[in-house]
Amino acid sequence: MAANMAEVTLIDALTMAMAWELEHDPGVVILGEDVGVNGGVFRATAGLQKRFGEDRVQDTPLAEGMIAGISIGMAAQGMRPIAEIQFMGFIYPTVDQIINHAGRMRNRTRGRLTCPMVLRAPYGGGIHAPEHHSESTEALFAHMPGIRVVIPSSPARAYGLLLAAIRDPDPVIFLEPKRIYRLNKQEVEDNGKALPMDVCYTLREGSDVTVVTWGAMIFETMKAADQLARNGISCEVIDLATISPIDYETILESVEKTGRLVIVHEAARSCGVGAEIAAIVAEKGMYDLQGPICRVTGYDVVMPLFRREMDYLPSVKKITDAIGATLHD
Amino acid sequence: MTTFNLPDLGEGLPEAEIVSWHVAEGDSVKTDDLLVSVETAKAVVEVPSPYTGVVEKLYARAGDIVATGAPLVDFSISATAAAKPEVVATEDAATVVGNVPTGGEVLQETAVAGSSRRQKQGRIKATPSVRTQAKRLGIDLADIVPTGKNGQITGGDLESFVAKDKVQARSRSSRPKAIVGRSDQLRGPRRVMAQSMSNFRDEVALCTLFDDADIHEWINKRSMTARFLRAIVAGCVAEPGLNGFYDADTMTHETESRVDIALAVDTEDGLIVPVIRNVEAMSIGDIRAAVEDLKQATRKRTVAPQDMINYTFTLSNFGMMAGRYATPLMVPPTVGILGTGKLQHDVVAVMGGIEVHRRIPLSLSFDHRCITGGEAARFLAAVIQDLELPE
Repeated sequence: MAANMAEVTLIDALTMAMAWELEHDPGVVILGEDVGVNGGVFRATAGLQKRFGEDRVQDTPLAEGMIAGISIGMAAQGMRPIAEIQFMGFIYPTVDQIINHAGRMRNRTRGRLTCPMVLRAPYGGGIHAPEHHSESTEALFAHMPGIRVVIPSSPARAYGLLLAAIRDPDPVIFLEPKRIYRLNKQEVEDNGKALPMDVCYTLREGSDVTVVTWGAMIFETMKAADQLARNGISCEVIDLATISPIDYETILESVEKTGRLVIVHEAARSCGVGAEIAAIVAEKGMYDLQGPICRVTGYDVVMPLFRREMDYLPSVKKITDAIGATLHD
Repeated sequence: MTTFNLPDLGEGLPEAEIVSWHVAEGDSVKTDDLLVSVETAKAVVEVPSPYTGVVEKLYARAGDIVATGAPLVDFSISATAAAKPEVVATEDAATVVGNVPTGGEVLQETAVAGSSRRQKQGRIKATPSVRTQAKRLGIDLADIVPTGKNGQITGGDLESFVAKDKVQARSRSSRPKAIVGRSDQLRGPRRVMAQSMSNFRDEVALCTLFDDADIHEWINKRSMTARFLRAIVAGCVAEPGLNGFYDADTMTHETESRVDIALAVDTEDGLIVPVIRNVEAMSIGDIRAAVEDLKQATRKRTVAPQDMINYTFTLSNFGMMAGRYATPLMVPPTVGILGTGKLQHDVVAVMGGIEVHRRIPLSLSFDHRCITGGEAARFLAAVIQDLELPE
């Protein structure tokens, strides 16, 4: 084991990545509500203010639009701000800043200025949170040109992709599946190495069906793949990782091999990112398909409160059922 | 005994006020049951039970202020439940709201970035509609040479494959039975057939007359075979000459008074021809019963050899499967055989108008050495007349 190799949770990995970058790039600044003294609502920035000082890790007022606006200004002038929004449910005041300014900076200035900022936010359900703390609205940002949307699904990808997001010259919405913040640990070497964005990560190779998913749903999907493997069904599991732009080559090549596609996401079904993936495969992979494309998603309702939230989220059974159905077609 | 300490319910808030308890000491609770409502500086938070067990002690009362991390509830947990609390409140897991589940599992994964690693091993390319069509026809797309863009099998490829190789395609559509070549010496009924057909060819001067019987008026549609048998009797009454034998050696034509009709029945072993005797003396009900008995006997293979010889006329109801008309061959020395084809819905002219009627195609073969065309035509006319009766 390398000296700086440790078994860490996903949230530990995020802290590690931010600490690395604070240490190695003087332009990196963290800002957000309670990110400093308190260490963040989920402790993602715990200890960073103490270590790097109040100039580098700044507590802000409860004003998400302002957090985004300040970040854009700093980014356009060459700094690398990492802004935290406490929950994705609070991200909507930033939409004007993100869509109208962050996403357009490069285009508006004809390439003279870019906007190298990261907007971090925990997203997704399954932690028994109250209203508007649990939904997955990644499709909102994925629809917007000029903005990259990245979602890690393991400690290693949390570390590598956050580093890549910070170093990228354009804005990244970095959504963190909070249900798996502390669900498991993984050996991650704190070596400052970024992982590539804009590509999928194939977590399991298989020959019968391609299952594309991201975020916390990786957990259920891998379980489903394990179960099906015992019945002789071989699933290829792909972590989408970058939600926008989508690495459709990896998906298309997998579908070319398996001939079948199931998409799993916890966001509501209609106009979700799954619809975009299905459309791409219908357009470019039509002749490889041996059965209909199938989606396993949340429902088109407000994310329910905690007593019903596990009914809303795709379960292992819903995923295995869908895979079974697409294989029988 | 397990003590549950007040977790940090929000952003490192130091304390919380108990608003109300949802359990009392001595209560049994399950994981996720509502335990207590507490008010932090931010909100009223419902705290679910982290364990399944019995509440032994509550450390605070409603209205009390409890410090984060201070004991809140003692649980007594059954051995099985204690082994695996579903939610472990770890030190400083820190959520404003809800519980972030924690687990000690170490993730082992191989994550391959992007697609460059893959070697192409393309499967068959075809549109869903072509796949569906091929599935319906029982054709394996792997057998088809693609001509489409990017090696794709087009609808045209499928069509030309079907046209070029129809027989093969059909054999595939009934995959369980492959065609296997073999050589068998004829035996049993098939051997008898071979002999009688050779005799027939050497002796008989065959002539066949075709017509249809319009059964639009039929009331009882059951047992068509019984109706055919009765119609044959009617034919025999009109022209007894067809009900009998011809002996070529002595040039003798025998007309029989009994009407013993052989029924040609297709079985796996070949054609067998059990006989129903004295049909002329039977009512339609008797005939139906006799046909039913015969079917049973045929199916069970209990037709005795003596019940398959010495008949005077033959009925071949070949139209069960397909075939409208035929030239049925009688077995010498008999001189007549009636073939009934596949029931059709035909457009017929009725009193200057057009109607659709059910009709049975009839083929009457006779031995022209002893029967004239006129006799055969009158026989057939009588058959038709009887068949067209309502019942």
